Amino acid sequence: MNSSLWTGIKLVLCKELTMGLRFKAAWASMFMFALTTLACVSLAMQGGQLEPKMAAALLWMIIFFASMVGADRGFADEDAAGTLMVLKLYGSAQPVLFGKMLYSFFLLAMLVLFIAPLFFVLMGAEAVFPGVFVLTLLLGVAGIAAAGTLLAALAVGARVKNGLFAVLMLPVILPVFLPAIFLTAEALGGGSLSLNYLGGMALYDGLLAVGASVLFDYLWYED
Amino acid sequence: MIEIKFAAVSQCFHGRKILGPLDCGLCGGRITAVTGRNGIGKSTFLKLAGHFLMPSSGKVTVTSDGMEMRGEVLRRRIAMVMPELRFYDRLTARENLDFLLGLRGRRLDDEEYGALLDQVGLSPKAVSRSYAGEFSTGMGQRLKMAALLAAEAEIWLLDEPGANLDADGQAMVAREARAAAERGVLVAIATNAPGEEALADEFIPLDGH
Repeated sequence: MNSSLWTGIKLVLCKELTMGLRFKAAWASMFMFALTTLACVSLAMQGGQLEPKMAAALLWMIIFFASMVGADRGFADEDAAGTLMVLKLYGSAQPVLFGKMLYSFFLLAMLVLFIAPLFFVLMGAEAVFPGVFVLTLLLGVAGIAAAGTLLAALAVGARVKNGLFAVLMLPVILPVFLPAIFLTAEALGGGSLSLNYLGGMALYDGLLAVGASVLFDYLWYED
Repeated sequence: MIEIKFAAVSQCFHGRKILGPLDCGLCGGRITAVTGRNGIGKSTFLKLAGHFLMPSSGKVTVTSDGMEMRGEVLRRRIAMVMPELRFYDRLTARENLDFLLGLRGRRLDDEEYGALLDQVGLSPKAVSRSYAGEFSTGMGQRLKMAALLAAEAEIWLLDEPGANLDADGQAMVAREARAAAERGVLVAIATNAPGEEALADEFIPLDGH
């Protein structure tokens, strides 16, 4: 990676972190959504335990929808604040894309760090294979960050924005989402491990990042 | 030398023709005023010139010494002052400048900042301590001029650059635009202000036909 690209990525990432820390609404909504959902399900269970498959699906639904609320709003927020034009004028495509993607990944990783312990406490779950559990979470949020960043940029460019992001996101993220749920369930003791899924997720994450990198130039430079 | 050529360019929004058909050219070292009544398409003209908008028909070609420029190569040579260009409200003015210039690979030391802010009439204290969102519209316009000057671009696209500026500010804009043109910069100004029109070496009057 050349130094100017890396410098640009760091600048965009630092800008996002600085603004996120100063204006915490997106972070608060995301974390509160995750906390509220977990608390509600836990209260409804009245001390009972979810099956590993159900628990895994719940965990990934929380991560997916929390990402829609906060982490993947990078371009929509720029558009709403009227700063997309200045970013397009001064910023090159690749540093902006990867800076925002890294920020989204960072935010989702923080969310996972926050909700995973709560998940174990409130759901009464136990990680039989903690290494696989952590790796699955990391690969899953990386996929959500990569797909979310590209699709958010696409949705901002579209004339009809309402719901477009959510509609596009689900089919693109399914190849990450489904193995993530299976692997998480298995890591929680719901069957024997299918480690091939991990390789598949890593491959798809890589494809998403490369695909986003190629496509983003066309979105950023309309000529 | 930088040149921008419009060849049979028309622009429509939602099926309604906003601009053109237009055949004209702008070149480096000259100040070109794009004039016409409100809503005639002056801002659209500037966006087309910078490839921020693709024409509905026709072609806008930007060349440097005969070589066509597009995409990132072109974008890095452009600086703009436009009403819809907005800074990050939650960053200080200095953080905004550091971020935007950093994206262009430019890093100013304190001395260079001092000189730049002096040039556009902004107080260093206000720039380091105030969020861009706390700036008045006039100060915001001066901040846009600071970013424009520091970008060291070869194409300046200015949409009513003197708007919201006092007499000193308008004189600063005129002085810097003239100095840039003398350095070979292509300066396009969309304006109806007589003071800015007086700066122009050439005119592109838009009349809707």
